[in-house]
Amino acid sequence: MIMNYFPVRKFKILLVSSLCVTSLLTSTSGLLVQGALAAETKPIVTPPKQGEQSTIPPSGYVPVLPSTDYGQLRVKVLDGRTLKPLPDAEIVVLETEKRYRTDKFGLTPWIKAPVLRSTRFRFLVNELHGQLTLISYKNGYRDSIHMGVRMNEGSPTKTTIWQYKIDPTVDTRVEPVLYQVPYHRLWLIKLADRFRRPSQLGEGYEHP
Amino acid sequence: MRRTLTRTSAALTISTLACFLPIQPASAQTYIIGSTGFPSTIRVAIRQNNIFGEPDPRGPIIYVSNVNFDQYCRDVLPNEWYPTWPLASLEAGAIAVKMFGWYHHLHPVTVGGFTFDVDNTVNFQLYRAQSDQDQTNQAYQNTRNLAYVMPDKVIFELNYRAGYENNPNWQYRNAQKMSQWGSQYWAALGRTPLQILEFYYVNRMLVTIPGIGKG
Repeated sequence: MIMNYFPVRKFKILLVSSLCVTSLLTSTSGLLVQGALAAETKPIVTPPKQGEQSTIPPSGYVPVLPSTDYGQLRVKVLDGRTLKPLPDAEIVVLETEKRYRTDKFGLTPWIKAPVLRSTRFRFLVNELHGQLTLISYKNGYRDSIHMGVRMNEGSPTKTTIWQYKIDPTVDTRVEPVLYQVPYHRLWLIKLADRFRRPSQLGEGYEHP
Repeated sequence: MRRTLTRTSAALTISTLACFLPIQPASAQTYIIGSTGFPSTIRVAIRQNNIFGEPDPRGPIIYVSNVNFDQYCRDVLPNEWYPTWPLASLEAGAIAVKMFGWYHHLHPVTVGGFTFDVDNTVNFQLYRAQSDQDQTNQAYQNTRNLAYVMPDKVIFELNYRAGYENNPNWQYRNAQKMSQWGSQYWAALGRTPLQILEFYYVNRMLVTIPGIGKG
């Protein structure tokens, strides 16, 4: 929000509110932040009806979800070395701050999860899928961060997270493990073709 | 002296050329549906990741993994086809992925001391363990008992490339390769998997694999 503070002035003084900066910082994350500027006073939250569970997470922060589109997500957590399912691991969907636990088969229930598309490529090539970030926690294992989980509107998505057991005799420096889900190869081909000049053959236009 | 030099240079040339020939096909034998059993496993060479954590098609082979053939196909399809595409496109893709894997299972190669059928990169088909999705699994299951072969029932390599969006990709038909975007284009127009396959691979036929169920 840009505010004009002094009605009679020699110089025009512009003040940028800190909330505005915050929302700008949010937008650089690459996610669509439609409505972030409007949400500077307080987040728009519909109070839960009687008997309904509150939608406000324990942190008090209500993420601005830019889309009303959702898909279904199911996460499987495996021991990264034995490849056996890990029960009782806790999965956090960062974008919604909601938490889920895995059952004895290492599976979460089907989760209603938002489809968030990257603004960076939004106007260049119509991106094929949204992305989510997950963190898996389990005592005795390294935390596992899983970025870029592909989500599509109305479609089910399954993803697998590997967690690695901490061995105190070997693991002296214990830090989280990151896995970045890659973009689909069909999308990458499209993206590269979108900006290729006729003189920039590179590998060449795809010839059969 | 001159003859010795000629012999030495010839030997050097041959040995140099041999170094640049990385793949040695085991045999050029043909295999016919019905007399060739459906693969139970496939040997997948796992290549070293690049610095961004992605398997490098030119990276050294680290090890060879013995993977269940059905699971291999299920873990390839969502990485090659887009899982939200119409079912007919996914089913055409499922047949192509299976026939490609089957052909290479019958024609293994040896590289750097490792003998394998396929690797996990776009050198063959993009394979990621545990990446199967419900929609692509359904497409594979629906077509598991089907094979697309030559008129004399010889198993051949069903090859495919991305192609271009919103386009039938006629040039791929001429090259006897399926266009993935083309399969999506035709499926959106209501074509069946067989019609899609017939468009790209001319003079081939769809047969049932004896003794194989839908999975």
